[in-house]
Amino acid sequence: MLILALTSLLAPLLCFALLAVVEPLRRRGRLAGRLSALVAVSSFAAAARVAWMVLVDGADPVTWTVHWLVHEGQGFAPVGIHIDGISASMLAVVTLVAACVQVYSLGYMADEPPAAQGRYFAWHSLFIVAMGLLVLAPDLLQLFLGWELVGLCSYLLIGFYWRKPSAGKAAVKAFWVTKFADMGLLLGIIALFGATGTMSWEHPPAGIWALVVPALLFVGVMGKSAQVPLHIWLPDAMEGPTPVSALLHAATMVAAGVFLVVRAYPLFEAAPAMLTFMAWLGAITALVAAVTAVVQDDIKKVLAYSTCSQLGYMVAALGSGHLMGGYFHLTTHAFFKALLFLGAGAAIHAVHSNSIFDMGGLWRKTPVGAALFIVGALALAGVPGFAGFFSKDLILEELLHAGHLGPLLLLVVSAGLTAFYMTRVVAIAFFGEPGARAAHAHEAPWIMLAPMALLGMLALVGGFGGGLLAEAWGQEYHFAVTPVGVVTTLFGLAGIGVGVVRYGTRTWTGLTLDGLRGFILSGPVDRFWDSAWRRGLLPVARMVGWFDRYVVDGLMNLVAVAVLKLGAGVRRLQTGRAQDYVFAVVVGALLFLAYGVVGG
Amino acid sequence: MDHLLSIITFLPLVGALAVFASPGATARWLALGVSGLTFLLSVPLWFLYDPAGTGLEGWHTMQLVEGPYPWIADLGISYMVGIDGIALLLVLLTTLLTPIVIYSSFSSVHEKVSQYMGFMLVLETGMLGAFVALDTFLFYVFWELMLIPMYFIIGIWGGPNRIYAAVKFFIYTVVGSLLMLVAILALYFFHHAQQGFWSASILDLYHVVLPYRTEFWLFIAFALAFAIKVPMFPVHTWLPDAHVQAPTGGSVILAGVLLKLGTFGFLRYAMPLFPQATHELGPVIAGLAAIGIVYGALVAMVQDDIKKLVAYSSVSHMGVVMLGLFSFNTEGVSGSVYQMLNHGLSTGALFLLVGIIYERRHTRLIAEYGGLATAVPKFSVVMLIVTFSSIGLPGLNGFIGEALSLLGSFHAHPVATVVGTSGVIFGAVYMLWMVQRVIFGPLTNQANKELTDLTGREILYLAPILALIFVMGLAPRPFLQVMEPSVDRVLQQVNREVDLLAVTESAAHSGDAVRGAHGGER
Repeated sequence: MLILALTSLLAPLLCFALLAVVEPLRRRGRLAGRLSALVAVSSFAAAARVAWMVLVDGADPVTWTVHWLVHEGQGFAPVGIHIDGISASMLAVVTLVAACVQVYSLGYMADEPPAAQGRYFAWHSLFIVAMGLLVLAPDLLQLFLGWELVGLCSYLLIGFYWRKPSAGKAAVKAFWVTKFADMGLLLGIIALFGATGTMSWEHPPAGIWALVVPALLFVGVMGKSAQVPLHIWLPDAMEGPTPVSALLHAATMVAAGVFLVVRAYPLFEAAPAMLTFMAWLGAITALVAAVTAVVQDDIKKVLAYSTCSQLGYMVAALGSGHLMGGYFHLTTHAFFKALLFLGAGAAIHAVHSNSIFDMGGLWRKTPVGAALFIVGALALAGVPGFAGFFSKDLILEELLHAGHLGPLLLLVVSAGLTAFYMTRVVAIAFFGEPGARAAHAHEAPWIMLAPMALLGMLALVGGFGGGLLAEAWGQEYHFAVTPVGVVTTLFGLAGIGVGVVRYGTRTWTGLTLDGLRGFILSGPVDRFWDSAWRRGLLPVARMVGWFDRYVVDGLMNLVAVAVLKLGAGVRRLQTGRAQDYVFAVVVGALLFLAYGVVGG
Repeated sequence: MDHLLSIITFLPLVGALAVFASPGATARWLALGVSGLTFLLSVPLWFLYDPAGTGLEGWHTMQLVEGPYPWIADLGISYMVGIDGIALLLVLLTTLLTPIVIYSSFSSVHEKVSQYMGFMLVLETGMLGAFVALDTFLFYVFWELMLIPMYFIIGIWGGPNRIYAAVKFFIYTVVGSLLMLVAILALYFFHHAQQGFWSASILDLYHVVLPYRTEFWLFIAFALAFAIKVPMFPVHTWLPDAHVQAPTGGSVILAGVLLKLGTFGFLRYAMPLFPQATHELGPVIAGLAAIGIVYGALVAMVQDDIKKLVAYSSVSHMGVVMLGLFSFNTEGVSGSVYQMLNHGLSTGALFLLVGIIYERRHTRLIAEYGGLATAVPKFSVVMLIVTFSSIGLPGLNGFIGEALSLLGSFHAHPVATVVGTSGVIFGAVYMLWMVQRVIFGPLTNQANKELTDLTGREILYLAPILALIFVMGLAPRPFLQVMEPSVDRVLQQVNREVDLLAVTESAAHSGDAVRGAHGGER
C-alpha cells in the first residue's frame, strides 16, 4: 500500500523532472502531454487501489516518515506518507480529477505552440506531486510544504498566458493574497510548535493557544479556500487556461483549505468559538458569492463565484462540528465543478469567447457537451438524485443538529440562488438566441468529451458513494428525507423555475438585476483591497523610502562625521581624506606584522 | 595537511601578488585559477571536519586548529586559526563565491583588470582570515584587511557616484571597527588583570568575568561594529549606496560574504563574550531586527532600480538572520546560520543576474524592461528560481532558514516574530512585483528585443549556485548536522550566565537540601 501511494507521488515527480530538464522532450509538446497524461492516469490507478484497500478492505492506517531536519542531534520535522481513510480518499479524488483534466487538456491545448504545451504539462505534473504531498502529509509542516507548492503551481498556471498583462496581474494577485494568508498558517504552525513542541495536529495546545493556533491556521484556510474577504483572487485566477481552472481553482487546490480543517480537526475542535465563526463566515461567503454569481456574464466568472460559494458551504459545514458533510461535499463538488469547467471550456473552445451571450443556442450545435454541462448544473443546483443534492442535504442537517440556525438560513437561501444562476447560464448559453459566434461551433473532440463523460457519471451517481466515504470516519451514513432537505429542495426547484421563466421561456421579464449588477460589478471588496494597496501600502512604503533617504541616512551621516571628527581630530573630511585612512590602516597592519616577525 | 586552513587563507594573498604583476588578460585567468584552487583546497574541509568529533580542549567543536604560534609573544598575541561547523560553512561559501565573482567579472571589468582581480583575491584572504581567526587581534587585522580592497573596488570600478559610496562605506565601517578595537583592548586588559597573563585568544577571553556596566558598554561597542556590517536598521544606510555604486562583483561579495561577517561577529564575539548584556539587550536587538525586516521590505517595494531593490531586500533578509540569532535557542540560531548561507547564495545570484542584464542594456531601471521572458527565456527561468528561493518557497533553500529562524525566535520574542513574519509577506510582494514588471508582460521596448540570452560562461558560473539552492532546500540535514553541535556549543557559552541565574533561582525556591548540594559543588 505504501509503495502504491509512493508511486502515485513519484511518477508525476519523475515526469515533471523529465519535462523540466529534458528540453527536446518539452519542446515536443504533444509527446510531453501524452506522457504526462499517462502518468496522471497511472497515478490515479495507484491512488484508487490505495483508497480501495483502506475504505473497502479496511486496511489499517499506515504512516511512514523520515526526518527532514535535525534538532539537538535528533531527527526533527517528519516528512513522509500518512495513509488513512481521509488521505486515501482525498488522494483518489485529486488524482482522478487531475487525470481527467490532463486527458482533456490534450485536446484543449492542442493549438498552443508545442513548447508552451510542454511547459503546461510539466506544471500539471508538479501540481499532482504538490497536492499529493499536501494530502498525504503526516503533520502540519509537510502539509505547509505542499500548500506552498500548489500555490506556486497556481501562480505559474494562472500566468500561463504571461504575455497578456491581465494574466500576469492575476497570477501575482493570487500569489500575494494566498501568501498573506499563508503567513497566518505558518505563524499558526510556529505557535503550535511553541506551545506543544510538535507540529502534529493530534495534540491541541492548552490555554489561550487553543484558540490562537486554530485562528491563525484558519487565516491560511480563508486565503486558499477563497473565503470572504480573501476570495478576491479566485475570480481573477480565471485568466488561466480553463482546464487549470477546473483542476486547481475548482476541484482540488482551493479545497485544500477545507481539507486542512478536516485534517487538523482536533485543533479546531478545541476552540468552539472558532467553529461558530467558521459556520458564520462560510455561510456569509456562500451567500455573498452566490449573489455575485447571479450577475456575471462571463461563464468562467459565474463558475468561479459558484466555487467560492460552495467552498463556503463546506467551511460552514465543518463549523457544525461534524466532518462528514463538508468532506462529502468537497468530493461531489470536485466532480461536478470540474465537469462544469470542462464543459465551459468546451463551449469556449467552440465559440472563442467567455461570454454566455456569445454562446446562445449551443444546444443544437454541441449536444453532447451541452448535455454534460447540464448534468453538472443539475448536480450543483441540488436536484434530487444528483451528487450535489446528497452532500448539500447532509451539510444542512449537520448545521441544524449543531443549532447554527442563522448560517443554516443563509445556506438555504443560497441554495435557491445557486439553482437560479445556473439555470440562467444554461438557458442563455445553451438555449438562448444563437449568437454570431455560435453559428460555426463544433462539438469538442472525443478526447475532451470522454473525461467529461466520466465526470458526468460521477456527478450523477457520486451521491451514492456517501456510505463508502463515511468509512473514512468509521461512521454509518444513510440518506433520509427530512424537513430541512425538503425545504432546501423546494428552494432549489423554485430557483430553477424562476430562471426558466425569466431566461428560458421569457414569459416573465419583470425581474431585472440592473441595480445589483451595477453594485457588484463595481467590485466593492476588490476596490477595498485595491485602495488598501494604492492608498495604503504604497504611499506608506514611499514615505518610508523618503524617510530612509533623507532622515535616517542624513542623521547617520551626521553621526559618522561627528564621531570621526572627535575621534581623529579631522577638521575637514573630504573625499581624499578617506584614502589617508586606508593608508593608515595598511601601515598599521603591516607594522603589526613586522613587529610580530621581528619582535616575536 | 597540518596547515590546510592557513594555506587556504593565504593562497589568495600570495596569488594576488602575482596577479597584480600580470597584464590584464593573464591576470583574469590567473585570478580564476588561484581562487579556483583555493576552492578545491577548501572542499576537503567538509570531510575533515567531524561534527561529532572533538577538537580543541574546552571547545570541542573547534577543529583543524593551528597554533597558537606566538606572534607578538610579549603581548600574548598569537597566530591561531581553526573552524567550527559555522565557520566551515561560511568559509566554503566564501571560497565558492570568489571564483564565481572573478569569472563573472571577465566581461564586466575592462579597465585596470589586474588590480581588480588582485583586490578580489586580497579581499578573499581578509574574509577567510576573519572566519578562521581564533585570536582577537588576528581577527581584527583580517577585519581591517577586508576593508581596503572593498573600498578600492567600489571607488575605482563603481558607478557614477562611486567616491561618495566608497567613502561612506569606509567611514561607517571604520567607525564601527574603531569602537570594536577599543573594546577588544579593554577586554584584553581585563583579562590580564583577572588571570594574570596576557592573551588575546578568544578562548581565554571567554573566561573574563566583567562588572555588568562594563560588559554592557563593551557589548555595545562590538554590537555596533557588527550591526553596521550586517547591516541592521538604522545603521544600514551605507548599504544601498555601496551596492548600487559597486561593480557587480563587489555587490556579490558584499552581499554574499561581507554582511555575513557582521552576523558571524555577533555569534563568535559579541554574544558569547558578553552573555549578560546580550540577554539584557536581546529584546532591543530583536525589535530592531523586526523593524528592519518590515522597513527594508517597504523601501524595497518602491525602488525603481532593480539593484537598489535587491540591496534593500538584503536589509530585510538580514533582519531575519538577526531575529534567529537572538532567539538563544538551537532552532533559531541554526536557522539563522542557514539563512546566512541562503542569503549569500540567492542575493549573490540576484546581483549576478542584475549585472548580466546591465552589461547588455546599461540600465537597471525596472521601467526599461518588461517581457524579458520572450527575449531571454533562460535568463528568465533562472531569475524566477532565484526569486522564489529568496522569498522562501519550500523545496528551495530559503524556506528552511526562514522557517527555523522564525520557529526559534517565536519562543523568545513572539511579538517581534509576528512583525517579522509580516515583513516576509512583503518580501513576496516586492520580489514578485519586480519579476512581473521585468520578465512577464508584453515585450514592448525595442531595445530589449535584441538581447542575447545567457551565454555558456554565465550559465557555468550560475549553475553551482542554482544547484545549491535546490540541494539545500531539499536535503538540509547534512548542513544542519554540520553546524548544530557548534551552534549548541556557542549557545552554551551565550546562555551560561543565564543558566547560572536560573540555577540559583531554582535552588532558592526548592529546599535547603538542594541549596546545600549546589553549594557543595561550588
